[in-house]
Amino acid sequence: MAATSPEQRRVGKPMPRWRKLLPNYLFLVPYFVFFLLFLAGPNVYGFYISLFNWDILLPNKPFLGFGNYQELWLDKLWWLSLRNTVLFAALTVGGNVLLGLFASVLVKQRPPGHQILRFLFYTPVVLSVAVMGVILARVFNTEFGLLNYYVDMVGLPTQKWLGEQRFVIPILSLSTVWWTFGFPFLVFLAGLLNIPEPIYEAARIDGVNRLQSFTHITLPLLKPVTLFIVVTQFIAHFKVFGQMWIMTLGGPGNSSYSVVMYLYDVGWRFFRMGYASSLAFGLAAIILVVTLINFRFLGGRVEY
Amino acid sequence: MAIETRTHEPTVDYSLPFWKRKTVLHRIDMAAILILLIPVAIATILPLVYMFSQAFTPEDQVRNWPVEYIPREPTLASFQLLVTWPNLPIMRWMLNSFIVSTSVTALVLTINSLTAYAFGRLEFPGRDFLFIFVLTTLMIPGEVTLIPTFVIMRRLEWLDTYNALIWPAGAGVFGIFLLRQFFQSIPRELEDAAIIDGCGKFGTYWRIVLPLSRSALIALGIFTFLGSWNDLFWPLIALNSNEMRTLPVGLSILQHEGYTMQGLGMAAAALTTVPVLILYGIFQRHIIQGVMVTGLTGR
Repeated sequence: MAATSPEQRRVGKPMPRWRKLLPNYLFLVPYFVFFLLFLAGPNVYGFYISLFNWDILLPNKPFLGFGNYQELWLDKLWWLSLRNTVLFAALTVGGNVLLGLFASVLVKQRPPGHQILRFLFYTPVVLSVAVMGVILARVFNTEFGLLNYYVDMVGLPTQKWLGEQRFVIPILSLSTVWWTFGFPFLVFLAGLLNIPEPIYEAARIDGVNRLQSFTHITLPLLKPVTLFIVVTQFIAHFKVFGQMWIMTLGGPGNSSYSVVMYLYDVGWRFFRMGYASSLAFGLAAIILVVTLINFRFLGGRVEY
Repeated sequence: MAIETRTHEPTVDYSLPFWKRKTVLHRIDMAAILILLIPVAIATILPLVYMFSQAFTPEDQVRNWPVEYIPREPTLASFQLLVTWPNLPIMRWMLNSFIVSTSVTALVLTINSLTAYAFGRLEFPGRDFLFIFVLTTLMIPGEVTLIPTFVIMRRLEWLDTYNALIWPAGAGVFGIFLLRQFFQSIPRELEDAAIIDGCGKFGTYWRIVLPLSRSALIALGIFTFLGSWNDLFWPLIALNSNEMRTLPVGLSILQHEGYTMQGLGMAAAALTTVPVLILYGIFQRHIIQGVMVTGLTGR
């Protein structure tokens, strides 16, 4: 036979490559529908929106180019909210890392009841931010709060904890450390259990004391874990909203007004979706920069 | 030649409970550790105890000092008031929370396990490129997608419905990462045996890989359920009618809209928390192991 059609040629030959591979791709189809519709698509669409004066209630949305970003650069409230947020995130991450490390180093020694302690330390993490906010708003209440009760009991003057500019961010950070330190605690604990015990044995034989073995063995070997915690915690706490939304509404004045609260107000109180989008990209840029800085300072491989 | 004369402490067997360990020194160590850790534990648990005690305290006593952690006259009055208050349909909010969180969990487990199987166990051109493409989106914070997703939901007329809260969860990346890691640890031989027995690719996934991954699926399911149950920001934006609210949104409204009764807020907080604490109690091993494992893979 001279000419054969492609269909005839296939007869008797093994399945073509694409037929064999097709089912593999089918596994991915459901996810990529969601991925395009709710993740990749919105990221691109969000940037597009940020180039317009996009009032959701108005039919025409004038094109601004980078006008929103220029406005953002000159916006005093944006810089103020950024300052508050950086301060909050720095205090919270610092507190979380210190308390998490402290607790994990001690729990690793397996004191009696260490499993109960592990369970308790992680308990607040499973609460909603709304629950955490409602409880701690009462704890720090000026007139009948738990903290003022104990402050009064030891004979110190009671304070308006959430009503004073100098206290409000530290108190919100302290509340957040209470709520979230269980996470870095567990990750540090995992990291500590991963350090081979013979290293400590060898050091002990060489006459290294406990403080030295902590600063010269434990801390350097925990560096990658610390990097992971600092980066993920910073990103998480930089997006703070619920604590302020429930406990202070950004007050007193604007002293606890956070970036995401500002995003919420611009987007859903003033319906300026274009400007809110540029704000979200500003937030994304800062998170990216801080992540890169952290990698620069804390990065590097560790060999056991 | 110098001879090692210094005798060092015998190696401590950390698998033994402290009272069975040999040295007195270690008993002192353990006592010192407990003296340091017990205050932390008390501080961790005290606000929760406070919440429950305030929820059961009569309204005219909640502001009293000294604070009583065990109410002298415990009462269900705050809960009764909460359930019967017409503007606070808390039972409906709880139902909403259950519907949304359960649906989100089912969606995430289905979609993520299919995707993770393809990325972790199958071979095809473009696989690694697609996986890295998906992972890079993790670099962009979710706040960026809030506004466009809101605009899309508005076009679809899904605002103020369960749809708006459930479907976006299908795009989650964390579960793909977690399950892919786990699937890759399953021995290939088991899959090969299934294929020889005539299982297709889907059959292998369904009959071999999923049953072997029970613990990873449970961990992902719990994390997803808790995350959805506790979420405040997106439901706050996407919902606006009172009866569609989820519990965290309802709680924040209760905090703001002039409900000055202290016991009411604490009772609502307690009702929001009890399901979560029950889940945590039952699945604590999965949760704690899950955090410790995913935390380390992040290195």
